[in-house]
Amino acid sequence: MPTVRNWQLGREMSYPYDARFPSRQFAFVFNINRCIACQSCTMACKSTWTFNKGQEHMWWANVETKPYGGYPQWWDARILARLEEANPAGQVWGGAPADARFGPYGVFEGTTIFEAAATTLTPDSARVLGYLPADDEWNAPNIYEDNPVGKRGVRNQLDPTGEQLPEHKTWFFYLARICNHCSYPACLAACPRKAIYKRPEDGIVLLDQAECRGYRKCVEACPYKKSMYRGNTRTSEKCIACFPRVEGTDPETGGEPMETRCMAACIGQIRMQGLVQIAADGTWAEDRQNPLYYLVHVAKVALPLYPQFGTQPNGYYIPPRWVPRPYLRQMFGPGVDQAIDSYVNPSRELLAVLQLFRRSNRIIDRYEIQEGPKVYEGSLRGRKVELFNDTVIAFGRSGREIFRTTIEEPIHVRTNAHANSI
Amino acid sequence: MPYADPESDDPQELVGVELPGSEAQTREMAAAFAEEFAQLGYTRAQILALYRRAEYAGAHRAWRLLGEDQIVRVVDESLAVWGRIRRVVIDAPACGAPDPPTWVRRRS
Ligand code: SF4
Ligand code: SF4
Ligand code: SF4
Repeated sequence: MPTVRNWQLGREMSYPYDARFPSRQFAFVFNINRCIACQSCTMACKSTWTFNKGQEHMWWANVETKPYGGYPQWWDARILARLEEANPAGQVWGGAPADARFGPYGVFEGTTIFEAAATTLTPDSARVLGYLPADDEWNAPNIYEDNPVGKRGVRNQLDPTGEQLPEHKTWFFYLARICNHCSYPACLAACPRKAIYKRPEDGIVLLDQAECRGYRKCVEACPYKKSMYRGNTRTSEKCIACFPRVEGTDPETGGEPMETRCMAACIGQIRMQGLVQIAADGTWAEDRQNPLYYLVHVAKVALPLYPQFGTQPNGYYIPPRWVPRPYLRQMFGPGVDQAIDSYVNPSRELLAVLQLFRRSNRIIDRYEIQEGPKVYEGSLRGRKVELFNDTVIAFGRSGREIFRTTIEEPIHVRTNAHANSI
Repeated sequence: MPYADPESDDPQELVGVELPGSEAQTREMAAAFAEEFAQLGYTRAQILALYRRAEYAGAHRAWRLLGEDQIVRVVDESLAVWGRIRRVVIDAPACGAPDPPTWVRRRS
């Protein structure tokens, strides 16, 4: 099997095909600290791409309640268990985090889904370790979510305490997911008909419906379970990254690349999507003023989802700060502690870049900060906080300004006792 | 959504899961929500409603565990910092269009 370089794992790994890198890569950052599981993203995708007969069970975008929720049910626990079986007690990270764009989280010393296939699967043609979820495991975009509803037979009234079933008495958070348009896609690697391809211009991974014969090898192989089978056409389908929007063909933007439907619909303002430049060796080319580059490689607050699977996913997450660290380290790798530390004690630049989330549906290519005076200095729960009246300017692919955000004059909140005094 | 009563012999039935959690985590979760929503420009009443209403399961769980007084304190602390500023967004003029005054392009 050919060998490719996986920068997230800090090492080479085997992959069924030689590496080919796009000039730009579709990528996104989701800030989990803000997600409220409103499922607006889920419905935006559903109502655009998967509302037809035979697609009822398909949620290309979904939001699941972790640690217990999943779509399909238990997808991550099951693939983690299979990897653990293939390499008992060996799924660990070593080395030291580096400042370089290659190996920023150290070195993964365990086994990826491609490597595990070579040692555990027969016949030899099986290229990726995976599993095929049962039909009933796909039955809800957030199975095990205990949505509060009214009591049976009582109309127009919610349950006063919100739950009907035994409650999840624990920490939890909402994990929003779409296809990661991986750099080494497992779906593509597994397809015997080569029906899946990665576009050279933007790295979007597409499944050619004319070539697909519905073998479901991609469904079995994708560790994130983002390729789905459609019974009435007997083909598989997956997220298409809203490519007409990303290409800038939507008349609204006059040719400027536009963010996808699920990004633009996000109520919690947790999502930012872009097209990052890729260097000849497959790492992200240095692009200091690109907001995604800044969040992933400079501030290091955004981390890949389950990088140990080995597909080099292009979805990045700002981890939830309240969740136990061992759980987060398993999900996002060893960069978690630094990411949460940077997020909780944000630099002046990070605060500015966080202002860019969801201010526009245009893809931001570059930002600039015009520094203004300090407007506040104080502390919050033992942390020092400084606020500046900085203006953050977002530019699109064409180089034109899209918008700017700034701070209005400080608001002085009067105490209740003097609410009406002048 | 569980409109009917739970049926324990249905393999697709929803189940609650208990995992060890601590008060420190609950407090951190409550603080995270308060800070994020204060940064988004929500008012005190709006943020408090998130905790008081049962539909917002995470925030409401923290409210039940920590109590109204502690939640009010967390929200007020967050607003005392993030609530003092208001961010405004100013759209760039449309391509080729005459430049409208800033107040026309402004959103907040
Ligand atoms: S997330 Fe799954 S479906 Fe999407 S590119 Fe990666 S392997 Fe393929
Ligand atoms: S990028 Fe587009 S196709 Fe993909 S999940 Fe989001 S809305 Fe659906
Ligand atoms: S729209 Fe945004 S806030 Fe709402 S569930 Fe989706 S990712 Fe979370």
